[in-house]
Amino acid sequence: MKYNYFPGCASEGTALANYHAFLAVAKKLGIELNEIEDWNCCGATVTSSVIGEFPAQVLAARNLALAEKQQRDTDIVTTCSSCYAILGLTNNKFADEEFKKKANEALKEDELEYTGNLNVRFLLDVLVNDIGVEKIEAAAEKPLKGLKVAGYVGCQSVKALRGHYDDPEYPESLDKIIRALGAEAVEFENSNKCCTGALALTAPEITVSAVHPIIDGAAKAGADLIVTPCPLCQMNLDAYQAKANKQFQTNNNLPVLFITQLMALAFGLSRKEAGLDYCIVSPYQKLSNWV
Amino acid sequence: MSGADGVKRYDPEFTKRVYKMDNGKWVKMCMQCGICPTTCTLRDIMDHSPRRIIQLIRAGDKEQVLKSNTLWLCTSCYTCACRCPRGVPMMDVMHDLRHLAEEEGYITNQSHMAKVYYNDVAKRGRIWEGGLTMKYGLKIGIGNALKMAREMQDVGMEMLKHKRLSIFPPKGVKNPAKLRAVLQKAAALAKEEG
Repeated sequence: MKYNYFPGCASEGTALANYHAFLAVAKKLGIELNEIEDWNCCGATVTSSVIGEFPAQVLAARNLALAEKQQRDTDIVTTCSSCYAILGLTNNKFADEEFKKKANEALKEDELEYTGNLNVRFLLDVLVNDIGVEKIEAAAEKPLKGLKVAGYVGCQSVKALRGHYDDPEYPESLDKIIRALGAEAVEFENSNKCCTGALALTAPEITVSAVHPIIDGAAKAGADLIVTPCPLCQMNLDAYQAKANKQFQTNNNLPVLFITQLMALAFGLSRKEAGLDYCIVSPYQKLSNWV
Repeated sequence: MSGADGVKRYDPEFTKRVYKMDNGKWVKMCMQCGICPTTCTLRDIMDHSPRRIIQLIRAGDKEQVLKSNTLWLCTSCYTCACRCPRGVPMMDVMHDLRHLAEEEGYITNQSHMAKVYYNDVAKRGRIWEGGLTMKYGLKIGIGNALKMAREMQDVGMEMLKHKRLSIFPPKGVKNPAKLRAVLQKAAALAKEEG
């Protein structure tokens, strides 16, 4: 399996753990990742407010053009749910000939062109539908027996491109991976609530109030830890957990890992390869059997 | 009520302008059923519900729409879009409205952040997350920045301790000038269309 890989800006900072763990896990599963040469920020959902919808879509489309130039007919995979939403939605726009013509006119300024022929795929989609849970199960040399894991999918991972690979309201792919690793996937209250994404930077008090019921829901369901595929969800649940405890007078102590990190551990990879030191809520006690 | 000086509160030109934007057609599609506020995470702290924003656009109540915190509290979670019987991508409508609010000079913390974010994209092609907060701090004024630093130092210190905020910017794209040329061309093409 071969992909054009779009890491996204978070992979160079707040989500370095996801970047390293995914590379290690991909190697183990025989996934060939070719990072898109010279990729740029997808623009997220904020850029359009400054420059307008169309230029923001062209910004995202530059990556699609670069991917096609690098490897034709090869799907793009991304580990960030926001990048997935933006790149995927922009990719869909290329079915409209008028949009395509206009976007390519702008891309010509950088000697680029895009046909609209690639697929934009999210990490979970690739893992469950291309690699398959059987292969993941087989790679789990150190199955996570007895570990209770709350899978928090996040919103943009499944809701932005509805019906692409999972049910937007009752997603299953993350829990399938958790089970393939030998852990128990626990159902929990507020698992489908939004963590408020990037509002954490401009309105942290809103984020604290939003992450509390999610973390608390997972704790009350008996989870040992939370996993998510999304960089913003991971940061908000992890970095704001102490603030939420303080404000709501709780003592929740739930490590928040990227699913790729949990996979790395089950695959028998080292603590370093799994990027565990990047976690703010320490995962070492809960994961002592596997680290 | 904004029409104190006899300035007309309801402006049909505003309605037309929104209809012409990228997602304007969706404003026409809404049937005011109200499912979006029932699904919205932050409805309780929005001054107008998403449904009401659509109603206010149709009424031409420009000021109420553009000064509304709803535009900026939308987290783009897409939950309402999943449940809308007409398939209206409400967050895309909100994105259009934010752009309009920016153009008309309505400033919020989130619009400051959006500017800082975009400036980084235009300058380097990629976001330097570590620098984002600092530049945002400069934008919101010294008093607010100090307050933020005080309230957020616990989170910031943990992020630094766990090497999740880079002190130096990671490398950007090879030729940011060309990226800017692409964006300028795109903006010109969007303008041509009106």
